[in-house]
Amino acid sequence: MTYAPPAVNPDSREANPYRPDVAADPLAFYDQLRTQCPIANMEGVPSGTHIISRYEDVKFALRHPEIFSSDVVAVDIGQDRPLIPLQIDPPGHAKYRRLMDPQLGPKEIAYLESDTRALVNDIVDRFIGRGSCDFHAEFSVPFPCTVFLQLTGLPLDDLERFLTWKDNIIRPDVPLGDTQAAQEVRYATGRAMYEYFEGVIEDRLANPGEDVISRFVHGDLEGRTLSREEIADVLYLFILGGLDTVTSTLDCSIAYLAQNPSHRRALVEDPTLVPAAVEELLRLHTPVMQVMRVVKQEHEMHGVRMLPGDHVIVMLGAADTDPEEFGQTAGDLHVGRDANRHFAFGGGPHRCLGSHLARLELRVALEELHRRIPDYAVAEGAELYYSPGIREIASLPLVFEPGPTLVGAAS
Amino acid sequence: MKIHFEASACVGHGRCYALAPEVYDADDQGHCIVKFEVVPPELEAQARAGAANCPEAALAVEDGLSGGARAASARPSG
Ligand code: SF4
Repeated sequence: MTYAPPAVNPDSREANPYRPDVAADPLAFYDQLRTQCPIANMEGVPSGTHIISRYEDVKFALRHPEIFSSDVVAVDIGQDRPLIPLQIDPPGHAKYRRLMDPQLGPKEIAYLESDTRALVNDIVDRFIGRGSCDFHAEFSVPFPCTVFLQLTGLPLDDLERFLTWKDNIIRPDVPLGDTQAAQEVRYATGRAMYEYFEGVIEDRLANPGEDVISRFVHGDLEGRTLSREEIADVLYLFILGGLDTVTSTLDCSIAYLAQNPSHRRALVEDPTLVPAAVEELLRLHTPVMQVMRVVKQEHEMHGVRMLPGDHVIVMLGAADTDPEEFGQTAGDLHVGRDANRHFAFGGGPHRCLGSHLARLELRVALEELHRRIPDYAVAEGAELYYSPGIREIASLPLVFEPGPTLVGAAS
Repeated sequence: MKIHFEASACVGHGRCYALAPEVYDADDQGHCIVKFEVVPPELEAQARAGAANCPEAALAVEDGLSGGARAASARPSG
């Protein structure tokens, strides 16, 4: 793919990852960054917004929060206070994770598997007889969102509202590059979210249930419970993480498998490959292309000085496709890879809290989808638009052989 | 084979116990618990796979049981 003008300019050391053409096919962009410009500067920003791309450098940045902090300065998305736990640096961060991690650990969420499997089949039933669907709108959005609502006990009726909020924050509908308009949308959305959370917190304090929010509200934080503000700061991040990232991963994965039938067939023939395939799809597509950090201590990388207050775009996707770490097959889906230390869920202390849930959802979705619809392709003439930053596909029309619904088959 | 586990580096990715459940387990934080100090021969491949997939490089395996043994990096060679 050619970029016009180039998304990486080695002469000026400028790069711009926030372009739809980059998001659609980022491998060449990542490659250029790593090889020609390992520390680039964000295009159009006078100085002090660095892009880190090599695996070793990304690893270093993720593991050194005392230098590369993710505090509230790193990302301003309309919040009043630091998001918990992402925007709290160690050591304060650990106490929140000690409360939250056990609620979302692999053993704790294992009970969700059978319901999740049933849910995938219910959703597939809605379109399998038609022989076509918009996979994004009809599967990637409703599936993880429903799991999230079940887990949190938030009402299904409010889903549309949550989806609007997270889109307003992650990809506000303003002209590309109009950062001021984007921030206005984010602030207004932030207000609405805080207001809504007040009611949720009130309810969980009075009527605790088995849901994760109740557990956070009543959980023990070093001898006390979380304050209302702290809970709101947790929920803000929860809505964003819970409602967007698995959607993007499913979009990228299914689009890829639709376009690469040999890989899809391998999974259909041997479903035991699915867990390894999930890791490879996460690595190769790294749907969350980057995480943001802010420099706290002066630091030099590849001859570039980074000063306190500078922003850093840690390009996870570039690290995850670095041949220095993943060898010559770095740009391919290689399910048999021996070592796959990808950073699709970040790394270091801020490793994604929801990673175990995301993996469960992705595995079950791929197993059931391929059992029900083994053969599918992207509808002819469809143009896939990938949104930059977090790579969701606006519309993913698929065609396949119509099949029976499960309900129909059983009755 | 011995396993070296750097607990302070573990952040609970859970790759180790997902890939090698007979060798590694999860505590209630989702962090790694190494079940063996010395790995039985039939579990060496599992132990190695788990270590090679830890994104934090918190785990390393060392071939042989006693001093002087060749330290085997769990890192990929490619
Ligand atoms: S894979 Fe590494 S970081 Fe993850 S639980 Fe195991 S040892 Fe810890």
